[in-house]
Amino acid sequence: MSTSRRQFLRAALGSTTLLSAGLSVPSFLSRSARAFDQSGKRGERILVVVQLSGGNDGLNTVIPYADDGYARNRVALRIAAEQVLKIDDKLGLHPQMQGCHKLQEEGRLAILQGTGYPNPDRSHFRSMDIWHTARPEVEDRRDGWLGRSIDHAGRRAGQDVPALHLGPNQLPLALVSRQTPVPSVDSLETFRLRTADGALPREALSKLAEAPRGGASTLLEFLCKSTLSAYASSEQVQQALEDDSSPVEYPGFTLARKLRQVAQLLDAGLSTRLYYVSLDGFDTHANQAEAHAALLNEFSSSLKVFMDDIAERGHLDRVAVLAFSEFGRRVRENASQGTDHGAAAPVFVAGGQVRGGPLGAHPSLTDLDNEGDLKFHTDFRQVYATLLDQWLGCSSQAVLGKQFDHVPLFKTVLG
Amino acid sequence: MPAPAEPQPQPIEQVDPAWAWASYEPSGSEGWSLDLAAHLYRRAGFSANWSQLSQALNDGCQGTVDRLLSGVPDPDGHYEQAAGMVETLLGSSSGQNLPAWWLHLMVHTPHPLLEKMTLFWHGHFATSAAKVTDPRLMHDQNRLLRAHALGRFGPLLEAMAKNPAMLLWLDSATNRKARPNENFAREVMELFSMGLGNYTERDIKEAARAFTGWEVKHGEFRFNRYEHDQRPKTVLGLTGPWNGDDVIRILLEQPATAQFLVKKVYRYLVSETEEPPETLLDPLAEGLRRNDYDMTWLVRTVVTSNLFYSPHAVRQRIKSPLELAVGLLRALEGTANMYVLAEELEALGQAVFFPPNVKGWDGGTTWINSSTLLGRANLVWGLVGREGRYNSKVDLVRLSALEGVDEPAALARRVVELLLGSTLPDEVYVQLTAVANEAGQANSDRRQRLARLVQAVATLPEFQLA
Repeated sequence: MSTSRRQFLRAALGSTTLLSAGLSVPSFLSRSARAFDQSGKRGERILVVVQLSGGNDGLNTVIPYADDGYARNRVALRIAAEQVLKIDDKLGLHPQMQGCHKLQEEGRLAILQGTGYPNPDRSHFRSMDIWHTARPEVEDRRDGWLGRSIDHAGRRAGQDVPALHLGPNQLPLALVSRQTPVPSVDSLETFRLRTADGALPREALSKLAEAPRGGASTLLEFLCKSTLSAYASSEQVQQALEDDSSPVEYPGFTLARKLRQVAQLLDAGLSTRLYYVSLDGFDTHANQAEAHAALLNEFSSSLKVFMDDIAERGHLDRVAVLAFSEFGRRVRENASQGTDHGAAAPVFVAGGQVRGGPLGAHPSLTDLDNEGDLKFHTDFRQVYATLLDQWLGCSSQAVLGKQFDHVPLFKTVLG
Repeated sequence: MPAPAEPQPQPIEQVDPAWAWASYEPSGSEGWSLDLAAHLYRRAGFSANWSQLSQALNDGCQGTVDRLLSGVPDPDGHYEQAAGMVETLLGSSSGQNLPAWWLHLMVHTPHPLLEKMTLFWHGHFATSAAKVTDPRLMHDQNRLLRAHALGRFGPLLEAMAKNPAMLLWLDSATNRKARPNENFAREVMELFSMGLGNYTERDIKEAARAFTGWEVKHGEFRFNRYEHDQRPKTVLGLTGPWNGDDVIRILLEQPATAQFLVKKVYRYLVSETEEPPETLLDPLAEGLRRNDYDMTWLVRTVVTSNLFYSPHAVRQRIKSPLELAVGLLRALEGTANMYVLAEELEALGQAVFFPPNVKGWDGGTTWINSSTLLGRANLVWGLVGREGRYNSKVDLVRLSALEGVDEPAALARRVVELLLGSTLPDEVYVQLTAVANEAGQANSDRRQRLARLVQAVATLPEFQLA
């Protein structure tokens, strides 16, 4: 987006008090926003998920600095009120989150407070599975919520991959689909079949995988399908990456590198709609202060540059970023200058069409659950339902199995 | 004519547990075969070379299992060599070289089952050198896992609870009386013994108090009685002034612990595809407790069972990246630059000594996506291509399995026998024969043809199956 367009929108929409008062955006403004959307680069809406793995200490991320309970429970780990990046007279962000603070001021960052689910599980794996599958009640790891949205949308042969995971680790369960294998890519440069030195070319290998297997097992069928998909998407990504320039400078963080790749791919016109990246290390049981500050800095500055980049490239209005962690941490710090596994925590959604600022109240620091953890007031599946129905245009009922109330994430109710 | 379909087995829920774990007795056309010998070596080792396959066919199932369990003598002193090598590596201050060291051991070991089970325990007690930055502590833990790999689980769990790398990994080293750190207490129940659903949050809090004062000092375990909470605790219904050893004892007494372990071994050695019903696993779990958690008993029972040689198990797992690479090198009797190989395996999702988290590797279909499949294909060519990235020493021309086999169709069949043990649909054979048939009969061209043939077979979807 050009600077003048951004300035216009900021002038027109920047009045966050109007928006946070819960009023819907006047229709002439939303119409103008759509017009700009159309004058920019076309393409379907895109969702980028940033997973903060390990259980982010929400209380030291979005800080209720004016609440006595905060000072009482956080002694070694307390962030002094004067250091907090203020959002209002009660709430502020960790001092290392200047990027997020700017995004918030620009009205491009929604902060959903007190997000969680009933009977919170404090195991990293179980709780992460719950966020990934959106099925707190049952243990069924066959697919994830985004994978189901892919299955629900259906897919025609020859299209771009519906989703990409950028990272060295295995595919997040959230993206596991029953029908379509989703690629997990560490570096886009290595997403290429090396056939130097007289190796058999891709076509020959592809033909071998394609030959019919009578009576193949489910596992072998899966492998044949995945192998063919690998050869096909490798070609696509290589074509998309031929132009390797960025309008903005990214910091040296791993998360920033991954988000830069996302920006390149979507700008290249790849029709992939879901991107998934992770930042690990939030399991801060001991000596939390420094590690947590560094992680928040990486998260916040990478996100800010990414948003600036896609704005420059003209995609701001078709991109939303969701950032979550599997749980927050216990209200009271432990004796190792760290915090143990907790429950409810804030979730972030960034984007050009997002309604900026905090949503919902900060959970009470005195009315805690039996384990001494924050109580949730917003079910994460409400956030998913809003993103599915309003942003991705995919029935949340079909993906989540029942209807959840939406949260006012966007400036207008999108469809 | 298409290859005959694999027989459709009855659903796993209907398998009779008594039949499943009874000793496999080969008979007639269902008998001991190259396919089953290769299957045994893929599971209870890292694939076989041609002479091992021939010997296994000759010795039969029981004889081969005996040899795998005891390991052949180590005349070349691989373990001594490895011990010497690691001393040099540990001189450098980081753990970055440990994966290459272990890979070297796995490629050359005369006791592949020992390494296979050491790897199993590494995934079970997954500790990462990314956090435990003293490589000596990581190596000590690896030695501990190997020493107990085919021994009894009780002493292993007790030793792991006091293992300095583990204590540092799960923060128990800073577990203070005033405010206990719950990390180790939680994982010892959730991941190391009983599994989810067999304890409460309260059990974790109480157990954490029992482990207070278990510290690491100068790289060694130390009990700090001033930081230990002496008061009574109630763990899993038992009340007493428990310490960490007591909690471990209580955990070992739980039937859930044997059940959890058996299920994990089933997934590792038998099948990743079907969820085994509890009734199928119960005899194994009961037997394991009766045998004082003896892992040799468990592994022997599993790999000599009817179920293990049935369609419920054969090709019902996916090779981990490491199994793929080490297995290919062992089958081709070659070696490679292990530092480069270790990096490549990390990109494919399996860096030993650096597991992704305390739960270890999920395995199964999670290994597979477009990126890793391309990576696996690149890895294969890197190992067998003329100017491979790994300085690999794989001499395909002198490989005994292929010597004297010239006719293209026969060559294709032999490479398939060596690398898969099974047969393939005719159409795949036709394509493979075409690869083997490319012009040029001189020896140098033969090398290139063999390399491409191995590439073609080792990138087949079938080759990903363990």
